[in-house]
Amino acid sequence: MDIEPFMLRAVLTALFLGPLCGFIGVFVTARRMSFFSDTVAHAALAGVALGFWLGLPDPTVPMILFSLVIAGLILWLKEQTVLLNDTIMALLLSGSVALGMVILSLLKGYRGELDRYLFGDILSVGWGDAALALVVLITVGSVLFWKLNALALLTAHSDLAHVSGIPVRWLNYGFVALLTVTVALSIRLLGIILVTSLVVIPPAAARNLARSLRQQILLSLFLGLIGASGGVILSYPLNLPSGPCITLTLVGLFIVSLLGGRLQRAHQNAP
Amino acid sequence: MDIAFRSQKPAAVEVQDLHVRLGGNPVLRGVNLRIEAGRMVALIGPNGSGKTTLLRCLLGLQKPDSGSVRLLQEGPPGPGILKRMGYVPQRLQLDPSFMLTVREFLAIRRPLTASWFWRPSRQIDALLHEAVGEMDVTRLLDRPVAGLSGGQLQRVLICSSLLNDPELLLLDEPTAGVDTPGEADFYELIAEVHRRRRLTVVLVSHDLSMVYRHASRVFALNGVICCEGAPEEVMNAESLRQAYGIHFTPYQHQHPHSHGSHGH
Repeated sequence: MDIEPFMLRAVLTALFLGPLCGFIGVFVTARRMSFFSDTVAHAALAGVALGFWLGLPDPTVPMILFSLVIAGLILWLKEQTVLLNDTIMALLLSGSVALGMVILSLLKGYRGELDRYLFGDILSVGWGDAALALVVLITVGSVLFWKLNALALLTAHSDLAHVSGIPVRWLNYGFVALLTVTVALSIRLLGIILVTSLVVIPPAAARNLARSLRQQILLSLFLGLIGASGGVILSYPLNLPSGPCITLTLVGLFIVSLLGGRLQRAHQNAP
Repeated sequence: MDIAFRSQKPAAVEVQDLHVRLGGNPVLRGVNLRIEAGRMVALIGPNGSGKTTLLRCLLGLQKPDSGSVRLLQEGPPGPGILKRMGYVPQRLQLDPSFMLTVREFLAIRRPLTASWFWRPSRQIDALLHEAVGEMDVTRLLDRPVAGLSGGQLQRVLICSSLLNDPELLLLDEPTAGVDTPGEADFYELIAEVHRRRRLTVVLVSHDLSMVYRHASRVFALNGVICCEGAPEEVMNAESLRQAYGIHFTPYQHQHPHSHGSHGH
């Protein structure tokens, strides 16, 4: 069977990023950081616009950098002001989308590009993106495994983590940076609007079936892998943007997990 | 050798002239505190008396503006000393979406079980065996931590803090989420751990009723240590009035006398 090169690149990228998003997502959902993930994703729009404005052929680097800047700003404002998390994030989310839109409007000929960044486009995934996804999978994945105990304890109780000798502040910063890079890179596949679904739905679905954190992580990895690659593969024959296809695949998996969880419990409770 | 010096047991906690301001308000105004090693003591005070701030200072979570904290006769709370201490928080911030089980929660606290992710449960159980049996949490091992009742969670938290064999155990409002019948059992359990392991236990609480039976010494805090002594000495009305001062609110303690004659 012949596989188109663009399809191969997109499927490989999905195979790399799907499990990674599923893994990091377990901690994102438990630490109530879904909105944070959404905010840094939207910040990427301004990064994309800045990339075009600077005349770069590929806006991946400014996209990641601008998301990191916004992530840093969220943390900085959190420490320096009395504003609530939600307020800070809503401010930066709308601010960066507005900035991105203004820049794109000023540049002629880029309005058409907008859709592929908002909803994902497998055609826009280059070999460089696939390679970067592999590098990020290996580095972020190993750091997450290496710091698994510390992260789990931080999620349970930050003071307890501190007392146990964990450098809580640095671990927080590190986690935010890893999450931001992972999310910004996944925008190629899912688009800005839907990228958080790959971070949030796999761990939520895994939660329905898992009986331990270990199972939840492994299931979430697996569901991220199936959802991302399945959505990419479906998007080609259906001629649809890849973002909605991945998200709907994930929603389907979530519904299956919900029913599976119910059955599991009914089976347990049966005499 | 000086007789007075010899009669004093070594101190597990020594706090000298501790001052902390939070948001411009003086919360701790010169706290002096000496807790002898091996004792089970209670640190009491009304809400807003600075209990939590003092506890945070002892844990190294809050830097004092002035004054000193010396723990286990070594120095201020740093990574080395914190390893010799156990801390039992009031509750966890755990979200039910996080499927951490009791076994996993205990395993992540201990270097021996660091590879819990790849190890079979039976091996982990063997490593946790002693503390798990002592705190009677064997039946809870497969339960998610987020789904435990207040009393069960307290037992698990103490169990986890005992894993590194602490010399000093700090408990923050230990029975805040525990129902009344469970409370007595809970303190019996702590007293048993204290007896068997001969460690220093500090109970921080606004609940005065429990100190009667379980603490050998009580420190009453309200910005400063207003009074200290055996439970029956501290619990008399005059010293309590000092501790609770004009901030006194009657729901915070239960004891068999009235406050009408004190004029507040």
